[in-house]
Amino acid sequence: LAAGFGRAELLARLEGRSSLKNLEPYLFAEEGFPVHGDVVEFHGPEGTGKTEMLYHLIARCILPKSGGGLEVEVMFIDTDYHFDMLRLVTILEHRLAQSTEEMIKQCLGKLFLVNCNSSTQLLLTLYSLENMFCTHPSLCLLVLDSISAFYWIDRSNGGESFNLQEMNLKKCAEFLEKLVREYHLALFATTQTIMQKSTSSAESSFSLKLQHETDTDYRPYLCKSWQQMVTHRIFFSKQSNSGNSKAFSVISCHIQKKHVVKRSFSIAECGVQF
Amino acid sequence: MVYQGLASKFSSLMLFAVVDFVSSDLEDVAQKCSLSYKALVAVRRVLLAQFSAFPANGADLYEELKSSTAILSTGIPSLDKLLDSGLYTGEVTELMGAPGSGKTQVCLSIAASMSLGLKQHVLFLDSTGGFTASRLYQMLQAQAEDEEEQLEALQRVQVTRVFDVYEMLRALQELRDSLSQQVTNQVTRDSSAGPLKPALGRSWSFVPSTRVLLQSKEATWEKTNTQRVASLAKSPRQPTGIQVVLDVGSGGAQELSPVTPTQGL
Repeated sequence: LAAGFGRAELLARLEGRSSLKNLEPYLFAEEGFPVHGDVVEFHGPEGTGKTEMLYHLIARCILPKSGGGLEVEVMFIDTDYHFDMLRLVTILEHRLAQSTEEMIKQCLGKLFLVNCNSSTQLLLTLYSLENMFCTHPSLCLLVLDSISAFYWIDRSNGGESFNLQEMNLKKCAEFLEKLVREYHLALFATTQTIMQKSTSSAESSFSLKLQHETDTDYRPYLCKSWQQMVTHRIFFSKQSNSGNSKAFSVISCHIQKKHVVKRSFSIAECGVQF
Repeated sequence: MVYQGLASKFSSLMLFAVVDFVSSDLEDVAQKCSLSYKALVAVRRVLLAQFSAFPANGADLYEELKSSTAILSTGIPSLDKLLDSGLYTGEVTELMGAPGSGKTQVCLSIAASMSLGLKQHVLFLDSTGGFTASRLYQMLQAQAEDEEEQLEALQRVQVTRVFDVYEMLRALQELRDSLSQQVTNQVTRDSSAGPLKPALGRSWSFVPSTRVLLQSKEATWEKTNTQRVASLAKSPRQPTGIQVVLDVGSGGAQELSPVTPTQGL
């Protein structure tokens, strides 16, 4: 091994990545999640708090342990170009007992951001990011906002062939799965509700059961490779009754165990509050 | 020069695009093309460096944003309050409303105020034909006395008429600097009693960070109604539902003031 290689880094890698179990218990139907290897999908129409929830999770990760954080690094892939740094800083300032510029910058030093403007660029970027996961053992969380951003562009570029339309996203999904598995990450990705709720009976029995039980406006449209790798699907919506102080709600589904739970939250200046 | 002649070797293996090459098994390719594995790895590294996006560190990005982000006042204090101080650079703000609700007037007013007051250059992309230089001049005259100032302000406003999507994309491509974008949009309803929502569907609705709905106030039949209600429909910083009242009279969009006879909008 090269002498310049940090001993601490080596130890960290041997010990494995930090646990994300206490990231946000309210978001999950079962206790003890997310674990490494989990793929969590945030699904919902616009204005329902998906990106705010991501800020909440990022803050939780990058804050120091003394500030109630997990002190781990986060990689944020932004395809929507909506990432609002100033909003994240406001949330961090509210959560730190004594927020100085120095401390904010120290937290932000644990966040990595990259913008992609096409599904091809997303795929190539994932390949080149592999190196970062190798060299940063404290990088445990991968966020992709959103994975559905190029859906229509891909469909129009793919011409007549359905396979060709889905190919880039399929490759991205497969490579994401490889990254998550090999580097013990947790992946959070958002998808937008761009399709109307389906009334066709050709849908899979699980999604029908789910819609019936929880009245979610969900119609799967992304490729099968992505659908099959999701371990938790969380539906975001705005509460219809205005009298409720908590304006937003999440319906969290553990895909394998078919366990569903509903929780409400509000968004204040300091971020998400359950 | 090692890389010349590679293209034909690769095409025999169906590696046409950068993506194909980068995702293929290089050991396999090395064997089939009788090339050195090391050379292929080097090519892969170069291609990735050229075509993939580069991650930035949060702390560095924050430093950069602190010095480059600006909040541009619209010149209408009540609208500024709705938008949490004004239009933010790096964001898209959408103004939606039915025909006649005052969208173009508000846009003209903002253009006049930014050009005159903030001395900023404004690019006005007009796809409806609603832009008239004389109306803009009228608004500038109401805001500044000095004719030279008014003419200077006029010069800072650049108008491009675009009538299809490709012209608009071309006009936007020519801009590279950080700017704040404001767009106007029509409204539709799901049903006759449903709430108003922006036209162009769900895929568009995700794009703007901020959305303001313009509506006419209850009309009184005696005089021309120039009052409009602006309500916040979507915002990354403020709770939705806040409303303010604007007057789109001759002096441009202003806060509510005693109604003065207009010279024709």
